[in-house]
Amino acid sequence: MLGRGIFQAVFGEFLPILLLMLVAAVVAGAMVTLSWVLGPKKDTPYKSSTYECGVTPVGNAIERFPIKFYLVAILFVLFDIEVVFLWSWITVFKGATIQYQVFSGVAVGIYLVLWIIGDAYVIKVGALEWDEEPQVAPEKLLPTPVEAPTIAAGSHS
Amino acid sequence: MSGFGILTAQIAIPLAGAFALMLVPNQYTKAIQWIAMLFSIASFAASLAILTRFSGGTYQMQMTEAVSWIEPLGIHYRLGIDGISLWLVVLTTFLNIIAVWFSFYVKSRVKTFFVMVMVLLAAMLGVFLSLDLILFYAFFEASLIPMAVMIWVWGGSKRNYAALKFFVYTFGASIFMLLGILTVAALHRNLTGNLTFDLVSIQKSVASGALWAQAPHLQALLFWSFAVAFMVKCPVFPFHTWLPDAHTEAPTAGSVILAGVLLKMGTYGFLRICLPLFPEATVQAALPMTVLAVIGILYGAAVAAMQPDLKRLVAYSSVAHMGFVVLGIFSLNHIGIVGGAYQQLSHGVSTGALFLLIGLLYERIHTRLFADMGGLKAKMPVFAALYLVLMLSSVGLPGLNGFIGEFMATLGAFQSGIEGAYGLNLLLPILAACGVVLAAVYLLWMFLKVFYGPVTNPLLHRLKDLKTHEVVMVGLLLIAAVWGGLYPQTFLAPMDRSLAAARLMATSAPGERPSWADSGVQIAEDGTLFGPSEGPLPEFVIESSSPSTVGVGR
Amino acid sequence: MNVNALIPTVDWRALAPFTIVVCTGIVALIIEMLRPRRNNNLVVGVSLFGLLVAGWSLFGMLGGPSDESFAGMILNDRFGQILQLVMVGSCAVCFLFSEPYLREKRIPFAEFYPLALWSTAGGMLMVSSKHLLMVFLGLELLSISLYCLAGMSRYESKSEESALKYFLLGSFASAFLLMGIAFIYGETASLHLGRISEVLGAASASPLSTIGAAMVLVGLGFKLALVPFHQWTPDVYQGAPTNVTAFMAAVSKVAALGALVRFLWAIGTLDTVWFPLMWWVAVATMTVGNLAALVQNDVKRTLGYSSIAHAGYLLVGVLAAFSAPGRVSLDATAFYLISYAAMTIGAFAVISLTASGQHEGTRFYDVRGLWKRAPWAAGCLVVFLCSLIGIPITSGFFGKLLIFQAAFDAGLPALAVLLAVNSAISTYYYLGIIQAAFVTEEGAVAPRFGKPSASLNLACAVCLAGVLGAGLFAGPLIRGMGTAEVGPPVGVPVQDPLTIHTKNTSD
Repeated sequence: MLGRGIFQAVFGEFLPILLLMLVAAVVAGAMVTLSWVLGPKKDTPYKSSTYECGVTPVGNAIERFPIKFYLVAILFVLFDIEVVFLWSWITVFKGATIQYQVFSGVAVGIYLVLWIIGDAYVIKVGALEWDEEPQVAPEKLLPTPVEAPTIAAGSHS
Repeated sequence: MSGFGILTAQIAIPLAGAFALMLVPNQYTKAIQWIAMLFSIASFAASLAILTRFSGGTYQMQMTEAVSWIEPLGIHYRLGIDGISLWLVVLTTFLNIIAVWFSFYVKSRVKTFFVMVMVLLAAMLGVFLSLDLILFYAFFEASLIPMAVMIWVWGGSKRNYAALKFFVYTFGASIFMLLGILTVAALHRNLTGNLTFDLVSIQKSVASGALWAQAPHLQALLFWSFAVAFMVKCPVFPFHTWLPDAHTEAPTAGSVILAGVLLKMGTYGFLRICLPLFPEATVQAALPMTVLAVIGILYGAAVAAMQPDLKRLVAYSSVAHMGFVVLGIFSLNHIGIVGGAYQQLSHGVSTGALFLLIGLLYERIHTRLFADMGGLKAKMPVFAALYLVLMLSSVGLPGLNGFIGEFMATLGAFQSGIEGAYGLNLLLPILAACGVVLAAVYLLWMFLKVFYGPVTNPLLHRLKDLKTHEVVMVGLLLIAAVWGGLYPQTFLAPMDRSLAAARLMATSAPGERPSWADSGVQIAEDGTLFGPSEGPLPEFVIESSSPSTVGVGR
Repeated sequence: MNVNALIPTVDWRALAPFTIVVCTGIVALIIEMLRPRRNNNLVVGVSLFGLLVAGWSLFGMLGGPSDESFAGMILNDRFGQILQLVMVGSCAVCFLFSEPYLREKRIPFAEFYPLALWSTAGGMLMVSSKHLLMVFLGLELLSISLYCLAGMSRYESKSEESALKYFLLGSFASAFLLMGIAFIYGETASLHLGRISEVLGAASASPLSTIGAAMVLVGLGFKLALVPFHQWTPDVYQGAPTNVTAFMAAVSKVAALGALVRFLWAIGTLDTVWFPLMWWVAVATMTVGNLAALVQNDVKRTLGYSSIAHAGYLLVGVLAAFSAPGRVSLDATAFYLISYAAMTIGAFAVISLTASGQHEGTRFYDVRGLWKRAPWAAGCLVVFLCSLIGIPITSGFFGKLLIFQAAFDAGLPALAVLLAVNSAISTYYYLGIIQAAFVTEEGAVAPRFGKPSASLNLACAVCLAGVLGAGLFAGPLIRGMGTAEVGPPVGVPVQDPLTIHTKNTSD
């Protein structure tokens, strides 16, 4: 068939994937459209509320919440990625030669040391303490102290 | 000669002065003033030492110095002096002494002021002494900042505008000169295989005609890339608008240096670079340049006559007087070029002197408007007498220096006009001569308004005449003006050979042009070249000149 | 499964500068952890020492041959070494004046130093690899640290704006870069620029590789602030703390330029597509940067636009070196980068004096009378601005001279002329800064300047020595760089669209 030949030429081995996507789109579209067309529509205030069953929502959904959540989320993601690294490494590590085991062991060791330093820093600055906000130590703000007042006072009197 | 020598010392003295001044704490005003004065005098002494070593019998570069600087780019530190630059160097150091002396009046930011004066002095001397095109450009640009700062910090009420205009105009024009320099050097490299910015060797390949044979159509373009930079600096008519503002707003010392020396960098550039490097283009440009020069003469005079401000009037008269320089140079005959070169010097002395006198007056009455003046002659007789003489030198009264230059420049233009050479015609010198008359009109009007009539301004009743040291200050310039008027050979004789060479470099056919590189070759009185001579260099005497050289004075 | 093949040859010497800078950052962070309530002097000292050692090790490598290690991940060549030296030096000078400034602004977070060090390390990685993955890694390391630094002044909304803008636009540009790398990988099946240029050279240009290259150029152009990807620059430069701005202007520009050069050289065979495009980008960058700078009234913003213009000048040098491989080297560009770093950091260092007691004003009228309060710094500022204008004998002049010469030699005179026009325009706004800082008297409201500290004066002196020294000793410096080679570009140079054809001007 001519049409198939062209598709084959353009998409090559991706043709099955394309077909799959097409079928998925048609099926999903058909389901939504059909239920919209065929289904009975009886709107009541209760039905059009956000949650038809459950507790009635209070306040605005667009609300500011503490930035701490982001911080915790980022730390969580970092831990995740660490695990991803270690997992893939250990699977290769098992069957490898001794040279590779030493080499990669040292590399991962360095990585873990850096990781621990980072964790220590996170704990030290209080990023995990919910109620505390990291601040610059007030001592750093002051200019270098002037060591003169006592002498000046003495000479004055 | 290689290594550093007296010319480097000439540039280094003011720079050393600037460094010395930086080390003095701000509050020692007196010390700062006298250190600046000391270094100015030392600089003048160095230029006199150069003068005594200078031989007027040759057109070659003398006391040359060459030190490798930026080798990968072929940039060298090359200095040299010839007749064209000799008197400009002396004039620069001389006027600088007077500018520094007058600047004892400066009360605010004294140290910065004198540092700027010294840096400016070094940059100007560098322009006149450098033989490497990049070095020339470097000094040419380096003079901008100190001058702009001088206008900016110590200037009059519209100083922001004036300084910005001055800087942007001159920088904008000269950046294209840099492109021109690079292209000329590239052409020279194509010819010889080595990249150099050495004026002498580039001119040598121009003299043989080989350089421009490669790219004849580029010559005019490159000529104008240089010429526009110099025309802005001179300034030639359509590019002159920065000058009245800069002059009017500058402090007195700045005006003296600006009028006396800085403008000469433009005309010097024509003589040093445009004529030798772009011969055919120069000849082609003779007509447009002279036309612009004559327009400048008439326009400057006409506008000057209308000014209500003393300084602005003298500034516009500068436009007119510099027109004579350009007119003389682009008449492209000996008398014209000599006249143009001489007019440079006399304009430096007389206009510098006028600005100085206006500055002295301004320190007393704090106004420059004619409306506030009148009847000053009775109050300040000495001042009036000095003013009269120096003003007349600017007018061009025979016996004073202004006459010689203007007369010779106009004569040169007449000669070219009669011969019809280079496309010039008689109309131009006739109009230029009218400009001389106009100069007399507006300068005498100025004198009338300032010194005669009733005293209208009550402030003037308490006016004191010049103090002794002020008389000395002006007197030095007066002596120079009278000397230049009565015995111009002193100044003309050393310049003559170099100017003749510059003319021949532009007007001779390729292969017959003189070249700075041919040491030993000289120019005879009739304009022919003769080979290396064994004996001592002949002393040049102006009486024995050919018909093309007119002896004046003696 | 033979995994032994994966063990790369490790050339620690080649990676030493990078490692030293990263480790210095870690040590600095540990110091901050151990003694959090003291001053930052030890952190600064350690950071400077680390940078010194890194610079020394780089300097020691300068003579060596160029080679690749880490399975082609790390390239150790002269061009990269010189750019790394510039970055290390820039970072050190920024540190010199940072501490007094941060104290005046009441934000002396010691985290500034490790973050800046890691950012520098990212930049160093970008220029010392021909592997696109490493370039991307370096770029992200550079950028993410910079996003944090830009928002360091947390109580200032403009600093937050700066960080957010930089972050959003920067990640957008990174996505472009990554997408482009993926496309190029799709075409050539390699991430190594050497291999990529081989594959691209063998085949004719395909839409995939062209689009990929264009996307990478967008990503790098964003970092370099080339028009039309420059809009973030003025806002970010203005909002970020001044020491971060100085750092950003110097280090991130140097790094992006290095990566851009390597990438353009690798896609040399596609030059019929990108060369005219980059030609116009260079013209637009110079012109837009300068024209927009004319109407600014904030010093930092003006300098931001000026940095855009300078990126355009640099691009002229790069294009010239590309189109005449035998005759024109990258020396001009490398020299210009050095002088640009010195004068820009110097200018920002002096401007950082306007911070005083948590308040910072960088409008033109805020710097009035600086000459009275800090004569040395104001004098230095004049020199830096002269260098930015291109007044002899500063290094800015010689940099422009070299680029002019390169453009002429490469047969791109139109670019040289446009550069000249642009430098003439640029005088106006630089003079505006000079006027404000050096000429004008203080206004009725006394300006609030921080006290010029010894370390700031030292930073000015270092930059001054750089600007004047690079000018006076341009010869040895250029020769010392050698021909900063990145290897000859692949492909045949195309003609300048506006070339003035001269007879016999090239041989």
